[in-house]
Parts: sequence; structure tokens; C-alpha cells
Amino acid sequence: MVEVGKNILRFSFFILLQVTIIRHLDLGSYFNPFLFVGAILMLPIRINKTLVLIIAFATGLIIDMFYNTMGMNAAACTFMAFCRPRVLKVFAPAGDYNGDATATVNSMGIRWMISYAGALIFIHHLVLFYLETFSLHDFFTTLLKVILSGVSTLILFLITQSLLFRNP
Amino acid sequence: MYGIIAFFRRFYFSLLFIALEIISIAFVVTNNYYHEAGYFNSSNRIAGTVYRTYSGVTSYFSLQSVNRQLAEENAQLLNAESKTKDTSTYKKGTLTNPFGQQYNFMLAEVIDNSTNLPNNYLTLRAGSEEGIGEGMGVISPAGIVGIVVKTSSRYSVVMSLLHQKTMVSAMFKKSGTFGSLSWDNNKDYRFATLNQIPMSEKIKQGDTIVTSGFSTIFPKGIMVGTVDNFKAIPELYFYTVHIKLSTDFKNIRYVYVVNTIEKIEKDSLERAAQNALNDKVK
Repeated sequence: MVEVGKNILRFSFFILLQVTIIRHLDLGSYFNPFLFVGAILMLPIRINKTLVLIIAFATGLIIDMFYNTMGMNAAACTFMAFCRPRVLKVFAPAGDYNGDATATVNSMGIRWMISYAGALIFIHHLVLFYLETFSLHDFFTTLLKVILSGVSTLILFLITQSLLFRNP
Repeated sequence: MYGIIAFFRRFYFSLLFIALEIISIAFVVTNNYYHEAGYFNSSNRIAGTVYRTYSGVTSYFSLQSVNRQLAEENAQLLNAESKTKDTSTYKKGTLTNPFGQQYNFMLAEVIDNSTNLPNNYLTLRAGSEEGIGEGMGVISPAGIVGIVVKTSSRYSVVMSLLHQKTMVSAMFKKSGTFGSLSWDNNKDYRFATLNQIPMSEKIKQGDTIVTSGFSTIFPKGIMVGTVDNFKAIPELYFYTVHIKLSTDFKNIRYVYVVNTIEKIEKDSLERAAQNALNDKVK
């Protein structure tokens, strides 16, 4: 029960941070961090994957509401949640995850975090940015946006973790 | 029957994923084509309240520039008034321009705005209760801003000029040669493109571009920007002109929503015609 409350708090924190502060960072059109995906990334590793799918869809819809991008974030987050079990499997440590492992730097180490978060953030941004442009017209411009925004999301995510979620 | 249940049990994760993706994409597509569809936008109460609170805090930081803008606009209005000296055209918030079109201007506060996304929107703290309706033009003291696409009772969402779908008819102030203005660079909030200007036009850097008034969304002669550079497309006998926008999209706090009185007349006439037609069919 405590765990559920913690997760709800974390989601509220990430969503509010995204729509009030990150959205107004204004680093130019190539750097659009979507830090709120961090809330989905930080769900417990052993959580039911169907639940992740539904949570991601709902979170995406809430962000869409604030960004006026109806359905785009929902699609991107759902896709990310769909890929999550596979990514977890690929980057699993020798002898699989411990029973109480959480998706934090403290628990899993910085290298694991960069590869796990990096892969999923890239997947999310890829779907989102191409849906947003809705064409392959500026293919490479959009790809550059995906990469640069993805890197900025990852950096912000790592900073947030080191500042606020030090205790596992 | 047993086979079907077994199939669902085996693939429910992928099936749920596909279902959710279809719902999302359906939202994207319907939202792209039908502006009325969808409640999930920033004109709803939750998003509106968050943005209003945020804006309440941050608006203090821009008071200085807002003051300056208002002072500049005051000066412009004073100049315009001293030039015309004919007060008969101004009556109670209504303005008749020389072409006989009438407009209402409604002041609205911007509580949210973005410039760095491929499709940008503004959220206004004024909605249908204040008389704002979908399809109305939005201008700032410096120039055009966008078009209202969604309204709730207290908030409205404006499709910024910085949006891939925004198209505005604009013309050269000096000659009246017109083209369609769009934001097709997707990157820089300071520039837009004016397409399909015939090569017969003598373009100079710094030429003023204003709205043409061909649609009833914007009045004629609202400032758009100035010519930054231009490129010839010889095979089409057209120029593509890059415009430096006069509106500073990063710094918009107050805007005017333009309601064309002619538009109300036109719309109600069209509706009446439609109804009459329907009656006849019955």
C-alpha cells in the first residue's frame, strides 16, 4: 500500500514538473525534454506489465491534455510500455533481477540506468516526434530532434534521480 | 470456443497494446481533422486551473515588458486618433475599417504558450462566456498571433501561427500582392514563409507584410512582419518570401480576439440557408 502511494506521489510530481517547469524551459526547438516518462521508467521492475501499459496510456493522455497533442503522447507512452519488458530482459544482470530491485541508480547502478532509460526514452521520443510532424518530409531534422531531446531528457532524468530519489 | 479463450490468454498483452495504440491514433487523427472532437485539451478545467495558477506566479516577471508594450500601443493609438480626427467610425468597442467591415476586439490574458514544438498552441483565460468562439482571429498589439480552435466556458485554445496547419492570407502593404503565409520551417519562432508571390512583384528587404482580409478571420491590414529574404522558384514563376514576424511569440501576455460582425451575419445567413434547405428536403 505504501508502495502504491509512493508511486502515485512520484507520478504527480513528474507530471507537474513537466507541465509547469520543463515545458517552459525553452531550450530551442531541438531540445524538448519529456522528463515525465521518468515516472513510468521508475515503476517497480517486477510490476505486472499489463498494468504498466494502462498506466502509461493514462499518463500519456494527461500530458496530451496539457500539450494539446491529443493521443500522441498516449501512443508514444503505450509503445514505450510495450517495449519495457523486452528492454528489461536485454539489460538484465547476470542471474536476473533481485526480488526487491527498483529502477533506480542506487539499486541498479549508473551504467544499467543509462542503457535502460536511454533505450526507452529514445523509443518514446521516436514515436512522439514523428507523430507530431505527421510526415517524413523533414526526416533527418526530426531524427536530430529525437536524439537531442532524448539526450536532454536522459540527463534531466539522471539529475532528478541523484537529487530527489537517493534512497531506494 | 476453448481455442479462442486460450488465444486471448496467450496474447492479451499484445492485444491490449494494439487496442490502446488504435485508440491513441484514432484520437490523433480525429483531432487533426475535426476541431470539435475531444475534451482532452487545455481548455478543460483541470489544465486551465494549473495554467492559470502557473501564470499567476510567473506573470510578475514580465510586468515590465507588458507595461512597455501597452505604452507603445497607447502611443500608436494616440497617433492614429490624431491622424483621423474622425471619431464617428469608433463606437463602443466596434471598429469600422475603410472597407466597411466591422470588428469587435475582446481582450484576453494568455495563461499558456509554447514556441518550440512542431505544433504550438496558446491557452487564453477567456472562453465562450466572454463571447469567444471557434474560428476567431487572435492578434497582439504587434501583429497576428493565431486562430481560436477550441473554447470551453472559461478558457480557449488558440492554434498559434507557429503551427503546421495554420494558413493565413497575407499581402504586401505597398502593392496588395497576396500569398499564403505558413510556418513551414518548424524550428524558428521568429520567421514564417509567404508562398506564391508572382515574380512580377518588386520585392525589397524590409517590405511590410499585412493580412489581406480575404477571409473573415482577420481584419485587413493587421501587421504580420517584414521581408527578411526571398528566393525565386523559376519553374513556377513564384517567389518564396521569408518573413520576419513582428509578433514576439516568446513574449505574449495579452491578446485581442477579433470577432468579425460580418462573420456573424455571414454565418447566421449560411445557417438559415441550410435550415431552409433541410426543411425543403423534408
